[in-house]
Amino acid sequence: MHPAERQTDYRWPFLWAGALVALVGAILLGVAISESEAWAEVAGALGLSFVGWGGLVQSFDAGALALGAQKAGAVAGPKMLVAGTLVWLAGWGLIATGIRRSPASEEGPSPAAGAPLYPRLARYRDFYWSTLGAYGGGILLAELVLLLLQTVLSSGVPSDLGGAAREASGGLSLPPTIAFAIAFIVSMAVSFASGFVGASRAQRLSFPEATIGVFYLGLPVPILLSLMERVPSLQLALGYRLREVTYVAGLIGRPELAYWLVFAALVLALILGINTGFIAAGSGRVDLRLGFELFVARRHVAVFRPSLLLGALAVLMFGIIPPLIVYFIIRGAEAAVERTRVKALGLADPLAAASAQHRMKLHEQSPTMMMTALSVGGVGVGVMALIIVLSVMSGFEADLQQKILGTNAHAVVSRYAGDLPDYDKVMQQVKRVPGVVGQTPFIINQVMIASEGNVDGVIIKGIDPKSVGSVTDLPQNILPGGDLDHLEQPARILPSSAVEDGEGKKDAAEEDPIIGKASKPAKPTVLPGIIIGRELAASLRVVVGDRVNVVSPLGTELGPSGPIPKSRAFRVAGVFYSGMYEYDSKFVYILLKEAQDFFAVKGATGIELKVADIDDARRISNQVVRVLGGYPYRARDWGEMNKNLFSALRLEKLVMGIILSIIIIVAAGLIVATVIMLVLEKRKEISVLKALGVPDGGIVKIFLAEGLQIGVAGGVLGLFSGLAWCLFIEKVGIKLDPEVYYIPALPVRIEPVQTALAVVIAVLVTYLASIYPALKASSVEPVEGLKAE
Amino acid sequence: MALLSIRNVFKSYFLHGKRIDVLRGVSLDINAGELISMIGASGAGKSTFLHVLGTLDAPAAGEVLFDGRSVFSMNDAEIAEFRNRTIGFVFQSHYLLPEFTALENVAMPALIQRKDRGPAYAYARELLERVGLGSRVDHRPGELSGGEAQRVALARALVLKPAVLLADEPTGNLDPTTGEGIHQLLRDVNRDLGITAVVVTHNETLARSMPRRLRLAGGQVSEA
Repeated sequence: MHPAERQTDYRWPFLWAGALVALVGAILLGVAISESEAWAEVAGALGLSFVGWGGLVQSFDAGALALGAQKAGAVAGPKMLVAGTLVWLAGWGLIATGIRRSPASEEGPSPAAGAPLYPRLARYRDFYWSTLGAYGGGILLAELVLLLLQTVLSSGVPSDLGGAAREASGGLSLPPTIAFAIAFIVSMAVSFASGFVGASRAQRLSFPEATIGVFYLGLPVPILLSLMERVPSLQLALGYRLREVTYVAGLIGRPELAYWLVFAALVLALILGINTGFIAAGSGRVDLRLGFELFVARRHVAVFRPSLLLGALAVLMFGIIPPLIVYFIIRGAEAAVERTRVKALGLADPLAAASAQHRMKLHEQSPTMMMTALSVGGVGVGVMALIIVLSVMSGFEADLQQKILGTNAHAVVSRYAGDLPDYDKVMQQVKRVPGVVGQTPFIINQVMIASEGNVDGVIIKGIDPKSVGSVTDLPQNILPGGDLDHLEQPARILPSSAVEDGEGKKDAAEEDPIIGKASKPAKPTVLPGIIIGRELAASLRVVVGDRVNVVSPLGTELGPSGPIPKSRAFRVAGVFYSGMYEYDSKFVYILLKEAQDFFAVKGATGIELKVADIDDARRISNQVVRVLGGYPYRARDWGEMNKNLFSALRLEKLVMGIILSIIIIVAAGLIVATVIMLVLEKRKEISVLKALGVPDGGIVKIFLAEGLQIGVAGGVLGLFSGLAWCLFIEKVGIKLDPEVYYIPALPVRIEPVQTALAVVIAVLVTYLASIYPALKASSVEPVEGLKAE
Repeated sequence: MALLSIRNVFKSYFLHGKRIDVLRGVSLDINAGELISMIGASGAGKSTFLHVLGTLDAPAAGEVLFDGRSVFSMNDAEIAEFRNRTIGFVFQSHYLLPEFTALENVAMPALIQRKDRGPAYAYARELLERVGLGSRVDHRPGELSGGEAQRVALARALVLKPAVLLADEPTGNLDPTTGEGIHQLLRDVNRDLGITAVVVTHNETLARSMPRRLRLAGGQVSEA
């Protein structure tokens, strides 16, 4: 008997039991390895068993460790290692016994036995090593390209050499956004191209090869990078700081998560490439033209009809019920009119009436049509929700950023230790750095502030009123009644009459209770001015012109009974309102000179800078430090100073985006169902088209185009309705409780890139969703649909 | 040399899990310009034979040669193109695409070949006039009668001037008068355009009117 007539048979109990035993063995091995430290930590964290070749790597490691472990004197090591290995091997043995040849069938040879084999079957190969190489190698290459480009283009060079290396190379130190964008796009292109080449060479989709390639060649890179995040010594050993691997990493503060996202995007590009390659090559030639395919697809789904688009848009804008009511009213009226007409026609010419009735029936829509409309609506809802939520979150972020940057500088120059006595000179130097548009010296400290009514701990800032306006919005934030200039002319804080009539008199009337004699004729006490926030003013119960005491626990003065905290009286010269509760309740401002006296500071604590482009703040502050000659000067930008806040915000936005994308994925499920229904409905037509000479690739293209039409229509509708809603929120506004949110209405900021991304992702997802049904359609045998009914 | 040669073709189909060998080593030569009828009992494999001849279905073993070239050793895309250029099909049902008008249906093979729409439609219109449907070009298949639809299908099969026309009981669903019209058209096509035609039929009169007659029985083809 010919051996090919025997089939492979799987005994599943053996396979499952073997897998279980092998798992136990792997766990034992893992434990043994973890017991003996060194690479063990890494190997344990690798979790590579998940990937497949983990067991092998681990046993190699374990072997190496077993030799070293005895020296180190690990107790549990060798025994468990041997046991683990044995159990592991036994598990695989069990799996092997579970696979066997089944006994031969009893059928005799067929009449065609010995006839020449059908040529296409003779050429058939079911596994392409070159395709595996193209896919796996492609994704690996894409990853390396990303890392290298990112390194070369931005500050990805080992960070401790950062400045020097960049100087030495003559500087491709592009802004991180651009560097990342370039690196990302190029690597996506590489990934796409490798998928394309692989699929068009193999002339089929070869997903097994793709899976194996991605898992074995592509996956180790993100795993390694994740490990680097966990094991800092590994980063040091490789001389690489993960934060610089991707730009996104710095943005959301979770480098490994960022890299996994990038990896997912690369795999996506590979799949798209494979799919495109398959269509293009079909089975031989590259043909990406979409002539009759689009023609057929448009007739099949007919998404771009005004009635459907307007209806879906109405549902997205006004909810489901109102448009439905309007629809039924219109349809009801239309039907009534039509019936009356047909009846009138029937009185004159019964046959004409019959054909009019027939035409009315033709107007009725098929269930597939309904499904198509639903899919369009689903994608639309997803895109709309994404756009609205992301825009509102961007609005919050922008609002927060504006408030933070209104009160704080974009960057602060200071020294690692001590103050800046010669701040004038430093300011002269900093002025030359391009991109710096304003600067002001400051002194910062923490003090207690006390009024007659209350006491609070605050941050006090000594400022230069003349230049502070060039960096922060403080001058604009002063509420009417106060004035920043009064800091320098404290005598003008109180209206002259008030000084004479109010406090002057009081002072004059004051008598020394002991001496019983009026003190010296009153001169108005001129106190230095202080600017406080609105919330602080409320809690201290003071208004402009009132007197407050500032007490510093540092720098004590010697009193009669020992050291006492330094205390000084100020008069409220103005109240500011920044819109941030934190600032309005925690910040007070005095004159730089007063602060120098009070805190015994020579010069200033540092210099606040304003830069032209806030996204470029980090680069400019690095440049400032370089101009100043590096150490001991340092500069920190706003992102660094508020890192936690902004990375939390961005992570939140990312997570929201991912969660909302689930809506789109649900809609994609709907598209899969719709296109599958279309395929079933059009089985006969597919066969006919094939008989007319449409290749498989053409059929795939037709049904991809159908899914894509739904996606594009939904995406465009979602875009319009999302933007409309954003505009509504912006113009009309949704009120918020200011006590809770500290912001009067829901903020909205439409970011073009983010909005475009939402639409592109939706269209991409729908494209991916229609791949499976399209392949299903292309596998319909022509003969199948042509059987006589 | 023969235009189409069939060499030792085997083909089976499966009915309720049982293998039925309908073609058992069939060999046949068809010369250019021939008009051939094929008869046989229901289920004898006439349609299967026609499908293999028209590259819609691959044989289990054996070869189909067109102009001496083995058709099934080409890849899928080449076979599809071969089918598009060389072979025209007419089936028992018209199998027109319901979303398209008669004109678009007839022009479809040309569109598949990526010809421009203008000339394709012009020629399709000419063909429709020739089969007597000049006034119905913009009607959809649902609005045509059976005979009309079948004539549209014939026009579609001829739009690319194929070398071979394969008809699978083209008049099986039609009344005798309408059927005779289709038969006449087939004969005209063969005579005027020189297209080789193989017509599978149950209709004995039609079969007898063809110059060469084949019979399929017991998995073998014989001259009748």
